Amino acid sequence: MSRDRRTVLDHRADSDPALTARAGTAVRRAPAPALAEDSRLAVDIRGLVERGEMELARERFGELVGLHQRRASRIAFQYLRDAADADEAVQDAFVKVFTHIDSYREAWPFAVWFTRILINGCLDRRKARARRDRWFVAEASASDEARAVGRTTGADPERALLARERRSRVAAAVDRLDGRQRTVFMLCHYGDCTPREVGVMTGLKESTVRVHLFRAVRRLRALLGGAP
Amino acid sequence: MIRRTQHLSEERLLDCYLNERDGVVVDPRVAEHLTDCAPCGKRYADLAGFMDGLRSEAETEADAIFTPERLRAQQVQVARRLESASRPSRVLAFPGQFARRAFNVSTVRTAPRWIAAAAAAGLFVGLGLGAAYRWEIPAGHAVVRTMTARSVPPSPSLSRADGSQDDEFMSELEVALDRPRTRELVAIDAFTPHFREIREDTTPR
Repeated sequence: MSRDRRTVLDHRADSDPALTARAGTAVRRAPAPALAEDSRLAVDIRGLVERGEMELARERFGELVGLHQRRASRIAFQYLRDAADADEAVQDAFVKVFTHIDSYREAWPFAVWFTRILINGCLDRRKARARRDRWFVAEASASDEARAVGRTTGADPERALLARERRSRVAAAVDRLDGRQRTVFMLCHYGDCTPREVGVMTGLKESTVRVHLFRAVRRLRALLGGAP
Repeated sequence: MIRRTQHLSEERLLDCYLNERDGVVVDPRVAEHLTDCAPCGKRYADLAGFMDGLRSEAETEADAIFTPERLRAQQVQVARRLESASRPSRVLAFPGQFARRAFNVSTVRTAPRWIAAAAAAGLFVGLGLGAAYRWEIPAGHAVVRTMTARSVPPSPSLSRADGSQDDEFMSELEVALDRPRTRELVAIDAFTPHFREIREDTTPR
């Protein structure tokens, strides 16, 4: 899922200085973990588990966790909007991956397999939370959010408040998307997945994924007024 | 080449954005159009700005929450869970006060036998009593009925079947129901001859 961003935009940036800044923003994206590396690691771990070398397998698995945990945490947080829940979901996904590593097949990239497990876990948690919220008052993890806002915006309370409002608007808009559109949008946009990979994860055709993504973006732009 | 009069649709712009992001080669005609057509270029820039804005916002938020320390702690937690999952299950020791009580093989085995024997005996007694009770009641009833039939002599008042008693009974009924409860029926009732009156009229004085 690593991207080479040599692009149309770069073309335009040459002729249009207004686009140069935006192109710069796009290039700032964090590089995703190398696909081949994680798949190879997963195959190695599977071999170690099959041979009963559990200690070594766990050690190697730590490397795999290190490669994916940041992206996984980001996806889980966007899904669950709660840091503690997201943390648990990520941990559960990794534990599940290790305990079922023998069923991993290298026909698909490890990231696809892992993300699928993670998303299923997140969806289960969302369902459980919806059931719980029917009976109990939902408890917001304000401390996490406040800490996050404080970190990102320094000591300026006005900026902190604005950032917080903006995020809650975006989160509310994403939450208003249809279930499938939300999944596709999150995987594509926050999870660094291509439409083809999202198709594999969700069992949809690539063209269907593109349609869902287009509708999701159109709806988000309508809800947010063109700017996040 | 895509003519300038035909602007790119939103779908094509999004496809172009995704292709660009994923490092897939963009259709050269679309690229050329985007370079030449200012409105399409502006729409594309707006779309890309919106998408990148959403993305950077989300990344900043997540990175602020999931700090390197937190991610390290998460990794340690995962490792701990994996280690505990791979360890064989431990059998918990039974609490001391219960463990001190001696359960030998004979008591453990004989207790259920006694219970079974008591249950069987109870069942047997219950069945026996139940059966006796069922047989006795019809027989008892029959005896009582026969005895009543034999011992009670026929009452002269019952055996006398003259119509005067019936008349009395009918009169009592009529007196009881003398006044109609429905107001609308009072007039009809007034015109209706009563059994009592007819009898009084016909009775020889």
